[in-house]
Amino acid sequence: MALVLDSISLRRNNSWIVRNVTLRFDRGKTYAILGNNGVGKTTIVNMIMGLEGYREHEGRIFLDGEDITALPVHQRARKGITLLWQEPARFQGLRVIEYLTLGGKLAVNPRILEDVLKAVGLNASYLEREIDESLSGGERKRIELASVLLLKPRYAMLDEPDSGIDLMSTEMIKDIFQRLKTAGSAVIAVTHREEIALLTDKAFLVCGGMVVKEDSPKEVCEYYKTLCDWCDHVNKPEEAQMG
Amino acid sequence: MRIGSNYSKEFQRIVEIYERAGGDAANLLKGDVASIIVSGQKVLGLNNVRGVSMESFSKDDVVIVKINVGDRVHIPSPTHLCVGALDKVGEQRIRFEIEVGEESEISFLSHCSFPFADDFAHIMEAVFHLRKGAKVFYEDHHFHSDSGGTKVRTSYSVILDTKSHFENRFYLTRTRVGRLELDMESHNNGEGSVVHLETKVYERADDRVEVREKLYLNAPESSGILKTAIFATDSSYANVVNEAYGNAPHVRGHVECREIVKGDEVQVGTIPVLRMRYDTSELTHEASIGRVNAKQLQTLMAKGLTEDEATELIVKGMLR
Repeated sequence: MALVLDSISLRRNNSWIVRNVTLRFDRGKTYAILGNNGVGKTTIVNMIMGLEGYREHEGRIFLDGEDITALPVHQRARKGITLLWQEPARFQGLRVIEYLTLGGKLAVNPRILEDVLKAVGLNASYLEREIDESLSGGERKRIELASVLLLKPRYAMLDEPDSGIDLMSTEMIKDIFQRLKTAGSAVIAVTHREEIALLTDKAFLVCGGMVVKEDSPKEVCEYYKTLCDWCDHVNKPEEAQMG
Repeated sequence: MRIGSNYSKEFQRIVEIYERAGGDAANLLKGDVASIIVSGQKVLGLNNVRGVSMESFSKDDVVIVKINVGDRVHIPSPTHLCVGALDKVGEQRIRFEIEVGEESEISFLSHCSFPFADDFAHIMEAVFHLRKGAKVFYEDHHFHSDSGGTKVRTSYSVILDTKSHFENRFYLTRTRVGRLELDMESHNNGEGSVVHLETKVYERADDRVEVREKLYLNAPESSGILKTAIFATDSSYANVVNEAYGNAPHVRGHVECREIVKGDEVQVGTIPVLRMRYDTSELTHEASIGRVNAKQLQTLMAKGLTEDEATELIVKGMLR
C-alpha cells in the first residue's frame, strides 16, 4: 500500500519546475519533503493532488497500485489523498461546522468534532464561527488540520503544517503526525524547517525540482544545514554538487 | 390578530406558504408582536402593539400600509410583514410608508411569497423616514414559483436624519427569481447617519435581475455601504449599478458587487459610479465577476467534493 511517483516532471515557460522525481510513500509512515523556498516542494504535492495547472506533467502517479495520473482532484481525494494548503482559503459566510462536515455530507459524531478541534488547540465554540477574515491565519491552519484529522486520509499531504502557528505548537504538530500515523495514514509534510522534518521517519531534500538526497531526517537535516543554508546555487543543484 | 371571517381560508393558505418560506406563523398570531398579512390586494389581518401604529387602506388599486413608530420606542420583537399571493396570474401593488421616531429602534422581517405565479407581478414600494437617532433593521426574504413567472419590482427609498441608522438585507436565494427589478436609494441627510444595504440573489434558468442602488451622502460624517452578491447560473442575466455620491465633507461610502457565474450562457455586468465633491471624503468600490474562486473550489475538491458540490457549498456561504 503505497503512493508512488514514477519519474514525474513539470515544465513551465521552458524551465523545469519538477525534474524526474521518483518517490514512494508507504502508509503508516511519516515523510518530510525539505528544501528552501521556491525549489519545487509545493509543486510536487500539488501534482500529486492533481490541482488545476499541475496535471499536465510527465511521468505517472500510482495510488495503492492504481494509476491515478488522469484522475481529477475530487476522485483522488475520494481514493484517500488530501492536501492541507500552506495558506488555507477563507470562505465567507460558511461556518466551521459546515466546512468540517462538508456541508453535512460527512456524518460526524459531535464528540469527534470536539475531539479533533481539541487536538489542534481549539474548542467547540469555533464550530459556529465563520471561516472569514474574523479568523487569523493560524486559526484557519488549525481548522484545516482538524479537517485532515476528520477525513482520515490514506495519504495526508501537509504543506508547511506549522506556518502561521506559533513555535510552541511543534509539539501539537508532532501529536497530529502520530495520530495520523497510528490511524494508518502516510503523512507527507512539506517544510523548510528542520524541526518539522525531524518529527518524521524519512526525509527527501529537494533542490531545483529534483530530489537531491533521501535518508533519515537526521542525515538529511545535517546535509541541509551544512550545505543548503549558505548555498548560492539554489535551484542549480548540479552546479552545487560539481562545486 | 383579528382575521375577517371571509378571509379565514385564505389566511390559512397564506400562513402555510409563509411557513414553507421559512416564516414562523406563531409570530403572526401573537398579540405582542406587530404584524400584517397581505394577500393579493387584500389585507387579511393586522396587529398593532404599543408604540407601533399600523393602518392600511387601498387607493387606486394600491394597498397602502402606513407604519408609525413613536419617539423613544424600542420594539424588542421584529415586526412581521407577510406579503404574498396565491394566484397564478395577476398583480399586487403595495406601498409601505414607514416613519420611525427619534431615538426609536425597530426591526422588520418581511416574507414575500408567490409560490404559484405563472405570470404574476409584485410591485412594492417602501419609503422610510428615520428621525434623529432612530435605528431600523429590515430583512426581506422572497420566495417565488418554479415557473419563473414571478415579476418583482421593488423599490426602497430611505431618508436618514441625524445619527440614524438603517440596515436592509434583501434575499432571493432559495427559489427561482423570474424577473427582478430592485431599486434602493438612501438619502443620508443627517449628520453621522449610517446606511447598510445588502442584496443577495441566486439566479437559475433564464432569470433576469436588475439592481440599481444609489447612496447619497448629503450630510457631514455620514456613511454607507452598498453590497450586492449574485450567483448567476444557466442562461440568467444580471446587471448591477451601484452609485455613491459624496455631497458633504467627511463622508465615507463603499460599494461592492460580487457576481459569480457558472455556465457559458450567463450574461452579467456591473457598473460602479462614484462622485465626490470634498477632499476630506472617501468613496471606494470593489467589483468582481467570475467563476468561484479557484483556491476555494480546489480546497473543497481536495476533500472529495465534486466541482458542483463545492460550488454549492461556497455559494451557500456567500449568499447567506
